[in-house]
Amino acid sequence: MMSGTVLINCSPKRRLSASGFLARCAAGLIRGEKRVLQLRTPADHPAILEAIRTAEKVVFVTPLYVDSLPSHVLPFMQKMEACCRENRLRLKVYAIANNGFIEGRQNEPLMRVMENFCARSGLTWCGGLGIGGGVMLNVERIMLTVLLGLTALNVVLRAAQGESPWEPLRSFAVSAGELLLLACGIIALMLRLAYHVNRGTDAGKRYTRIMVPSFLFILFADIFFTVVSVLQGGIFRGWLSRLKPTGGCEPAVSGKQ
Amino acid sequence: MKAIIHDLGTEQNMRLRAAADLVICADGRYAPCQGCFRCWTRHPAACVLKDELREVCRVLGMCEDMTVVTANLYGGYSPAVKNLLDRSIGLSTPLSTYRGGQMHHTLRYGRKGRFHVIAYGTFTEAEKQALRLMAESNAVNMGFREHSVAFCADAEEAGGQA
Repeated sequence: MMSGTVLINCSPKRRLSASGFLARCAAGLIRGEKRVLQLRTPADHPAILEAIRTAEKVVFVTPLYVDSLPSHVLPFMQKMEACCRENRLRLKVYAIANNGFIEGRQNEPLMRVMENFCARSGLTWCGGLGIGGGVMLNVERIMLTVLLGLTALNVVLRAAQGESPWEPLRSFAVSAGELLLLACGIIALMLRLAYHVNRGTDAGKRYTRIMVPSFLFILFADIFFTVVSVLQGGIFRGWLSRLKPTGGCEPAVSGKQ
Repeated sequence: MKAIIHDLGTEQNMRLRAAADLVICADGRYAPCQGCFRCWTRHPAACVLKDELREVCRVLGMCEDMTVVTANLYGGYSPAVKNLLDRSIGLSTPLSTYRGGQMHHTLRYGRKGRFHVIAYGTFTEAEKQALRLMAESNAVNMGFREHSVAFCADAEEAGGQA
């Protein structure tokens, strides 16, 4: 008996990935039996293929790399195609893709690859959700988690000194409200996608984004990468320069002389 | 300079060398991108993974035109070719701008000439459309002024067209 949903987190990052966060959010909204499995290396393939054999629905949750799926996901899809054909699996497939740019629509080429994958594999493509500003969403939710910890500490210290705890709680509530506002499109469309996954119906393709004007988003992104580059030292190592190969680790290159 | 990235195997390198200044065989032996962005923030235009693709974006940055020869996989590139492109995001910088009406990263090596994709294998009409969209999106992303896509029945024909 086929039942349940397998959510495949396609991020190569071990932890703190936007895709992992979105996969856990989606799992929280999907009813019935569900499993979130991470696809990082070929060693993860057997467990995921085993899980989909008895599943009814699969949700790929993936970052966008160079306009498509990350390269490490593609060999898995080839294996999954063979597995589905061999075992005549009739899964319903959904996708949640996120990219660092503000426009969720930049996930369109990835969605088409997913649709073609389903057609080749004999599976039912049920649509997906493309999210713009995934990195910003991830940074915001990590900062909110840190802020929650600091707020709790602040409340305890204030209580110990006999002061009112409301000020730090109010401050945290404002920050949480801001994040919910920024992510309102993502939340609404995640709820919509989960509704279709629960019913096993076609969700179509939808695109959304962090609710920030793009020029502000670019400003925030530039500030973020500048700060990180200062902290990691890249800004002092030819940050924006036309760097030439050092010759130490060039690929297997050949060419006419 | 013209670069060819291909997944046709090392035996086709000799033939392709006559057609380009730079030929890179994507043989699938390289580690995939880890998504850490350190090729932007720690060691610009160099990957943290210390294999032969470590500075591939610096090599590709020297080229004006790029041809990608790839097996069709669901209307996208083969895993080996996609791996190489994923490891090449140091072609751009971490800063952002508008290009083609959308947000993209600024270009470390400036605007380039032509991005040509030669895909081989069997295709559905939807896969051909997806490959055209993929080539267009990649061209805008990497700063190429023109792009084109050709479809071939097999690797032999694709190698001949490169």
